[in-house]
Amino acid sequence: MPAFLDDFLFSYQSLIYALGINGLLALSMYVVLAIGQLSLGQAAFMGLGAYTSALLTLKLGTPFALVLLASMAVPALAALIIGVPTLRLSGVYLALATIGLGEVLRIAFVNSELTGGALGLSGIPEKAGYAIIFGALLLALIAFVLVSRSRLGRAMEAMREDEVAAGMLGVHLPRYRISALVVSAMLAGLAGALNAHVSSFISPNDYGFDAAVTILSYALLGGIGSPFGPVVGAIILTLLPEVLRPLHDFRLVFNGLIIVIAVLFMPHGLVPWRIGRTGARP
Amino acid sequence: MLKKLTALAALPLAASLWSAAALAQSKEPVTIGAIEILTGPNNKYGIAIKNGFDLALESVNKNGGVLGGRPLAITYEDSAGNKDQAINAARQLIGRSKVPLILGPTLSNEMFAAGPVANERKIPIVGTSTTANGITAIGPYVFRTSLPEADVVPVTLKTAQQKLGIKKVAVMYGNDDAFTKSAYDVMKAALEKLGIETLTTETFGGKDTDFSAQLTKIKGLNPDAIVVSALVEAGSGILLGKKALGFPEKVRVIGGNGLNAPKVMEIAGDAANGTLVGSPWFIGKADPASQKFVEAYKAKYNMDPDQFAAQAYDTLFIVAAAINAAGAAEPEKIKDALGKVKYTGVMGPFSFTENRDPAETSGVVVIEMRDGGFKQFN
Repeated sequence: MPAFLDDFLFSYQSLIYALGINGLLALSMYVVLAIGQLSLGQAAFMGLGAYTSALLTLKLGTPFALVLLASMAVPALAALIIGVPTLRLSGVYLALATIGLGEVLRIAFVNSELTGGALGLSGIPEKAGYAIIFGALLLALIAFVLVSRSRLGRAMEAMREDEVAAGMLGVHLPRYRISALVVSAMLAGLAGALNAHVSSFISPNDYGFDAAVTILSYALLGGIGSPFGPVVGAIILTLLPEVLRPLHDFRLVFNGLIIVIAVLFMPHGLVPWRIGRTGARP
Repeated sequence: MLKKLTALAALPLAASLWSAAALAQSKEPVTIGAIEILTGPNNKYGIAIKNGFDLALESVNKNGGVLGGRPLAITYEDSAGNKDQAINAARQLIGRSKVPLILGPTLSNEMFAAGPVANERKIPIVGTSTTANGITAIGPYVFRTSLPEADVVPVTLKTAQQKLGIKKVAVMYGNDDAFTKSAYDVMKAALEKLGIETLTTETFGGKDTDFSAQLTKIKGLNPDAIVVSALVEAGSGILLGKKALGFPEKVRVIGGNGLNAPKVMEIAGDAANGTLVGSPWFIGKADPASQKFVEAYKAKYNMDPDQFAAQAYDTLFIVAAAINAAGAAEPEKIKDALGKVKYTGVMGPFSFTENRDPAETSGVVVIEMRDGGFKQFN
């Protein structure tokens, strides 16, 4: 590899990783928003995945493939457990319940000896790389495109536009809601595990309310018409602070300004187009 | 073939240019990197540190720079107190700016993230304000010039015990931050060792603003003092809450490094009176070098320096001495030279231990907050 490319990749390695990981997080938000629900538990699921994976790697030396599976399974289980009692909630109430989940988990991480308390876990070996991060993102994107072209996708869109009508037409609402939450938790958990295995250090504060709002803003900035929107949103919001680095003190001001302008003038997100359906006639 | 010939023909030309280039290069600045919190809620630490570096940098360059006349320069990167940004900053400094040494980052949390990056690329990284346990255990390229809490807190508590006869205390700490949690661990161990009874241990979150629940409980237990591990905002809130609840004057707050900032007195005002903290340095230190530093700092920035500025100030001289001793701006040589540096600055004599922590703890002073200023207590 030529030296300049090597230096470039070294300089921007964690930024490029972050693009992929945040893309996965944006997709995990997309699944829930796509059926018209608002969950703010993505950061909590991410934390659960990150801690599960880091503990397995550090304490038990589990092979990385198994670690990744566990990092999806544990949040999925948590989503099932909280999904059933919160099935009757929707809109802001579901959002509040999931914020609660996030805080409970954060406080549990802070107070547990196993997770190192506020000091977090450090010295996590770097096991994830470009292939696995972007492979996972690509797979998830393909899966979502296929889903949105199918009967499932139509049902999800019907739920988003009018839940009552969708239910009357035979869409099994509880099943869709639980599945969406579980898939979302798995994606967030995977993203958390990948993040833990490239940044070598995790602490409870990485998965607080701020993180939940950041993940939500990926999806809102990008638009939720198609799975590509949230990923584009994640890429832009991840790149902005680094691209604006030369502005020094004014960096955060411009960062905020760009986001405000984007939301004001493109209320349906930067990528408003929808995925065409099989059998659809214009 | 033709290409090769042209290349050969160019050789003598290149050789004649060589000497000129070498001369120009000798005046090229030696640029090191620094990662500090320059924006966001914790930027008071980062800015004090940057001020300290810049002041020392001026002095180094006025006195002939480093490596026989090359000026020293610092490229600053902002971490905004965020570990991911600290990693990005470290990677850019190493990969793009090719610095032979990195100063910072500001917080221990950030060092746990950025330290391994520098260590992996064999670039020495020197923390000037990272006091948590385990920082230098990251690897052989990670140094720190800040005294860890484990060295400072026991001195503070021991002094309080001797001078005030403290027997039973209440402890409060922020349990969601690496810095305040690790200071608490040190406090707990030191209290046990000194045989001071802990009546209760209360926790709070770094962003909390109301501490009346914890303080009311503490007041009922009637302690001799309250031992607090908190950063500036929460710590000031506790002091204000303590005054509002009408604690007796003689119940002092004994703080960790996080409370060791003039900002606390600015926020808490009168309520800060009597608060004790241990510090590797304080503004009223009688030492002439220290007084000169305070004067120069006030003249340049029109504000009082704190210990973070002082630590940064000394660190830059230590680093400059190491670069000179290394004889070249090469990371490996600088790393070896750092381990051997002996320097006496505003904080007193300094050298690194084998584990790259500060060796001397003689400079620790216990200071008390009184009417908006620090006074020496021991």
